[in-house]
Amino acid sequence: MDNAIMAKGNVKMELPLMDWVKQVLEYLGGERDERPPGFPFELSNWLFWGLWWGALCLLIFLFCGQSSKFIYIDF
Amino acid sequence: MTFSARGFYYSLAALLILMVGLNAIVAYTTRNSIPRQQMGRARRAPDTTVLAIGNSLIGAGFNESSFDRGMQLSPNRGSLNFALGYSLPVEQLLFLRFALQHQMHPRIVIYGFYDLQLSTPVRLATRDFVGNRAVLYYLEPEYARQFYYLSPHDRIEFEIMRHFPMMVDRGAFWAKIERLRRDIGQQGMPAERTNQFGRADDFALLEAKSDAEFASACDQASNEDLISPVLEIIRQGQDSGARIVFVEMPMRPAHVKRFYETPAWEKYREHVRHIIEPKGVEYLDASHWISDGALFDDPLHMGHQAAEQFSERLGQYLRHESPSGTQSPNPNSLQR
Repeated sequence: MDNAIMAKGNVKMELPLMDWVKQVLEYLGGERDERPPGFPFELSNWLFWGLWWGALCLLIFLFCGQSSKFIYIDF
Repeated sequence: MTFSARGFYYSLAALLILMVGLNAIVAYTTRNSIPRQQMGRARRAPDTTVLAIGNSLIGAGFNESSFDRGMQLSPNRGSLNFALGYSLPVEQLLFLRFALQHQMHPRIVIYGFYDLQLSTPVRLATRDFVGNRAVLYYLEPEYARQFYYLSPHDRIEFEIMRHFPMMVDRGAFWAKIERLRRDIGQQGMPAERTNQFGRADDFALLEAKSDAEFASACDQASNEDLISPVLEIIRQGQDSGARIVFVEMPMRPAHVKRFYETPAWEKYREHVRHIIEPKGVEYLDASHWISDGALFDDPLHMGHQAAEQFSERLGQYLRHESPSGTQSPNPNSLQR
C-alpha cells in the first residue's frame, strides 16, 4: 500500500488501478480479509460468486480452443 | 467470511442461469453459421437442376452462374453449390440427404473430390468437431454416427455436448479468438497471404508430406473399397433418379505433376473407376483443366477466374455428354 493514496472519513479513497486490482485478487483469493475500497461485493454474497464463476467459465470457453490447429477459419 | 451451504447452492443456481443465458446467446449469434446458411440456400432452391457437393474445393471452385452458362440452364432452374468447407464425406452425405429431403430433385449430382478423399476412413475425436464440422452435432447425428469412428470416451462427450449450443458452435468463437491472435501476431510482420478459408500457406498442410507417402497411401487404397459414406452418396443419389458424376477436381500444376502424374495415382484412379462405373456413376478427370498455377489462391483452392473457367467447361461437358442411365426419381429413397 506504499503508493496508495488513502484518506478516511468522507473523502474518496483512491488507489492506483493496478494496486487496486491486486488487492481485489488477493481478497478473492482469501489472502486478505478486508474488502478493498470501492469493491462492491462481500464475499458472502452468493450472487457475486455465481457471476464470478460464470465469468471464469466464459473466459475458459473463449480461450480453451487455442490448442486447435486452425487451417480453415471461415466459420 | 461466512458462506452458508444455502448460499453455495444459490451461487450454483445463479451460475446455471448465466450458462443458460450464454447458451441462448451462442445459439442466437451462430444461427447463420456457414452450414446453416448453406442449408437455408438449399431450402430456397427446390428447383435446382444440378447439385454440386463436396468440400471447399467445390465450395471455391464451382461457380454457379458460369456453370449454368456452360450447361445452358436458366438461373431459376440452375445449379446449386452445396459444398461445405472443411467437410468430410460424412457431412457431404448429410448435405445430399438434406437436399433430397427438402423437395429437391436434381437431374445431376456433381461430387468433387481430391487426393484420397474417397478412400480415407473417417476417424474423429471431440477436438475435430469444430467449425463447419459442427454440423455433425445437429444434422441427423444418430444416422451419421454409423459412418465414422469415435472412441467410447469421445462418444460420451459427443452425446453430452450436442445438446448445448456453447459446445456445438464453440469453434465459431474460437475462430474469432484465433483471428485476434493472428492479427496481434501480424503486428510489424510482413503480411501473410490469406483467402476466404484462412492463411493460404496453411493449406499445404493438407497435401501429402512426401511423394513416397502419397504413393504408399494410393497403393493401400487401391486394394480397398471406397468408404461407406461415399458409397451411400452414390446409392442415395441414384435412388433419387439423379445422374451422379464424380469429378477429380482441378489441382495446381505442381500438385498434379508431383502426385497425380504417377503410376500410383493412375492405379488408384483406375481402381475408383472400376468401383463406380459399374454402378452407373461417371468419372470425370478434371485435374488438368487449370494449367496456370497463378490462378490458384492457395495450394488447393482455385481462385475466382479459375473457378469460372472450370465451371463453364464442366457445364459444357455435362451438356454434351449424354447421361448413361438417368432414372425417374424415387421419393421413398431416403427411408433407409
